Amino acid sequence: MNAPTLTDAGMAGRVALVTGGSRGIGRAIVETLAAVGMTVAFTYRENAAAAAEVIAACERGEGRGKRGEGRGDTSLSPHTPHLKPHIFAEALDVRDSAACGAFVEKVVERTESIDLLVNNAGVIRDNTLGLLEDEDVRVVMETNVTGTFNMTRAVAPYMISARQGKIINVTSVSGEKGGRGQTNYAASKGALNAFTRSLAVELAPRGITVNAVAPGVIDTELSRAVREQAGDQALSRILLRRYGRPEEVAHAVWFLASRFADYITGEILHVDGGFKME
Amino acid sequence: MNEINNIKINNDEIQSVFPRVAETIADAIGCEVEKVKLNASLIDNLGAESIDFVDIIFRLQRLFKVKIPRGKIVEEARGSLSETEFEKAGVVSDAGVSRLRDYLSEVPPDRFKSPLNVADIPRLFTVETFCKLVIRQQRATPTADVSTPA
Repeated sequence: MNAPTLTDAGMAGRVALVTGGSRGIGRAIVETLAAVGMTVAFTYRENAAAAAEVIAACERGEGRGKRGEGRGDTSLSPHTPHLKPHIFAEALDVRDSAACGAFVEKVVERTESIDLLVNNAGVIRDNTLGLLEDEDVRVVMETNVTGTFNMTRAVAPYMISARQGKIINVTSVSGEKGGRGQTNYAASKGALNAFTRSLAVELAPRGITVNAVAPGVIDTELSRAVREQAGDQALSRILLRRYGRPEEVAHAVWFLASRFADYITGEILHVDGGFKME
Repeated sequence: MNEINNIKINNDEIQSVFPRVAETIADAIGCEVEKVKLNASLIDNLGAESIDFVDIIFRLQRLFKVKIPRGKIVEEARGSLSETEFEKAGVVSDAGVSRLRDYLSEVPPDRFKSPLNVADIPRLFTVETFCKLVIRQQRATPTADVSTPA
């Protein structure tokens, strides 16, 4: 048996598409994948300034490690201002199926393939059941669940045809463990866990792995309200007694996207510091 | 049914795309191209699975530079029938079967089982079905690749 080479994760030069990449966990994922030499196309909902900042940070090699040399202009279109070698972004609502299809086509025109899809885009509209508006339920389910369907259905044919690929869904600890005021969000993330397992079955014959990373309470803007509301009570439920950092979730995504996880599919990897059931 | 699809597809047209369609199907399914006869059923004769249809359609779109939206075959077969006129509770109506027989004229009549479940429609598809699909979409797509390789 050959000695294992643990420095090459087999990701440099490959192409990743990340949804919701301008902030929080998504940003950490984009920066981590760019740091290991992947070409990264990411979407963001509306914050162009944040997206531009992510691209700039990746170009400077900040935060998540040094990046390799650029390979020229990988612009999606003359109308997209956030264009740098190796990394590009476009404003997109994942609820729009046609827009997802068009974005994937543009990415492939530039890169010729998509090796990794990270479905990260998601929203929170927390409230107890009696106070949830119809819109709170609709937006969360359509963004978190339908949006994941939309982007996956746009990317999957390329992977099926190539007989390879990895799909990673960012779900949540709330998909499996109860949390007050999170029925809509929890239902959406539980649905994504089920989606992950079923899609793994469907795509395994084509050599495509499908896994999920389920973050616990991570120190991001998205979770600020949850953390502030729960206070010390939330910390007391976490065995490691601290909130997670976005890059700690990104490292789990990196692992599942690497060649070291080639034999893992249909799994939900919890990154939650040991979140306890209540 | 729109005008494009009412125009008859002749045998020469089918033969002009058949070699490339056959090669595409063989590549997607992973079988020898010699087995991909024009009248072969993709599922029953070539062992195709549902995921293979995704791959075949994807490859045909790229090869012929045509757009083939999801559910295109059934949508075109249904024509002016509403969804409820075409099928009820997953079973194709008599009117729907009649439309399918007309649209899938390349499929031998005895292969239309009764009752016919919507989920079993792909079981009817032959290699010629995909040749006709490509030709129809070429007619609908001005930029399609209609070249005939020597």
